[in-house]
Amino acid sequence: MMRLHIVKALVIVAVVLAMWEAIVRFGVASQIILAAPSDIALAAVKDGGVFLRAFATTMIEIGAAILVASTLGIVVGVVVGSSHMLAAATAPFLSSIFAIPLIVLYPLLMAWLGIGPLSKIVFGVLSGFFPIALNTIDGVRAIEQRYFVFARSIGATSLQTYARIVFPLALPAVVSGLRVGTGLVVIGVVVTEMLASLGGIGFLISYHRTLFDTGHVYFGMMLALTMAVAVNIGITWLDRRLALWRMLEQAEG
Amino acid sequence: MPIIEVSKLAKDFNAGRAVLRALADVSFSVEEGQFVTLVGPSGCGKSTLLQILAGLIAATSGQVLIEGKRISAPMPDKIGMVFQDPTLLPWKTALANVEFPLDLRGVDRTLRRSRCSALLELVGLSEFADDYPHELSGGMRQRVAIARGLAQDPRLILMDEPFAALDEQTRTRMGHDLLDIWQKTGKTVFFITHSLTEAIYLSDVVLVMSPRPGRIIETIAIDFPRPRELDMIGSEAFGRIRNRIWHLIAEAQV
Repeated sequence: MMRLHIVKALVIVAVVLAMWEAIVRFGVASQIILAAPSDIALAAVKDGGVFLRAFATTMIEIGAAILVASTLGIVVGVVVGSSHMLAAATAPFLSSIFAIPLIVLYPLLMAWLGIGPLSKIVFGVLSGFFPIALNTIDGVRAIEQRYFVFARSIGATSLQTYARIVFPLALPAVVSGLRVGTGLVVIGVVVTEMLASLGGIGFLISYHRTLFDTGHVYFGMMLALTMAVAVNIGITWLDRRLALWRMLEQAEG
Repeated sequence: MPIIEVSKLAKDFNAGRAVLRALADVSFSVEEGQFVTLVGPSGCGKSTLLQILAGLIAATSGQVLIEGKRISAPMPDKIGMVFQDPTLLPWKTALANVEFPLDLRGVDRTLRRSRCSALLELVGLSEFADDYPHELSGGMRQRVAIARGLAQDPRLILMDEPFAALDEQTRTRMGHDLLDIWQKTGKTVFFITHSLTEAIYLSDVVLVMSPRPGRIIETIAIDFPRPRELDMIGSEAFGRIRNRIWHLIAEAQV
């Protein structure tokens, strides 16, 4: 049974690829607009090494930006969310920054940090930080007072209260912030690579586009998609680990 | 020496520009091993008093001595607490919830595991040690909270309307089992409720509080023999005490 499914799927994929190839080969669509599967494969074979290195560069930038944006976002979110005054003072400010298109800041970042990976990482951090911090703030603010009273009654230190009670309680909100934030990091890094850079997938896409190497552009796009999917799989995995607990939250009311 | 000694306690809250007096001139004492219940109309400051006893909030004037020492901050090794809401951590099993206070204090894993398993057995939940709070009924969750309150082996347990959210049958059963736990452990229990029946059924002494600002208007010793039976609730003597407390509260309210 299983094997039959696989065979069917392979047949469908083969047919689609063949039709796609035919559309380009018989000139229905221009080769500049639509790359044929064989063009993409050729690009992969010819410049696979270059693309692989670019892929690594971009993944490192994305990874670094996600790491910094999540750490900063969560720490700032917990601290701000825990204080009435801080939250009232900064939350409107944070959400209005979140609402402006941050890309307008990129020329400045480029001037300050150059066109190397650092400006991409910093822009990625900027993109991811706000949704993560804002969601964490909301998550912490939603924690009922009784948990804080309980923490004090058992003599928990403030570090223990935040690390062992407040943060885990806010986690579902934090994860939904991470889902949005990490997605924005991927976008931010790839887009800024396309604007001005020395390497990375965004750079290759942009570079080959100017040369009308559509096969290369498509291959780059596929790699960029792969990254977005990989990051999303990571978040979904995290989310799944928390599913049990979200269920019980509903049970508790 | 009484385990709780409260004298001339007062508590004011600032409500905008006005000052709200929650407690005025509260004095009483509780002997070691007693089961003492505080009753009073809602909003009379019962919970405020309990939080002062626990060292969670400071009194405006007067003093509280716990085991002869002035209290100014929570003393988890001397005082265990059980709240109206069990406030369990949803991602921890029943056993891990009971262990949590000891875990924070760095108590050795094997030691805390054996102690807390014994506590779960005491509250009748041995079989549910590995269940998560959402898998337990309301009454069971509150049993876990009671076991957790006992985890640091305090001599005094403060309970703030612990059974108020339960249905009547569960509530009666929990009261009965609490007496059992109390007798087995020899702890002192200071209990808050607005159910007069519950107060009389459980206690050695009932303290009656007036509406705000709260004062203790009467201290009533309950002399029914122990172990207590549920039938006693329907007796004439029980009804008399109940009426007396009811009148005290009603008159104070005018």
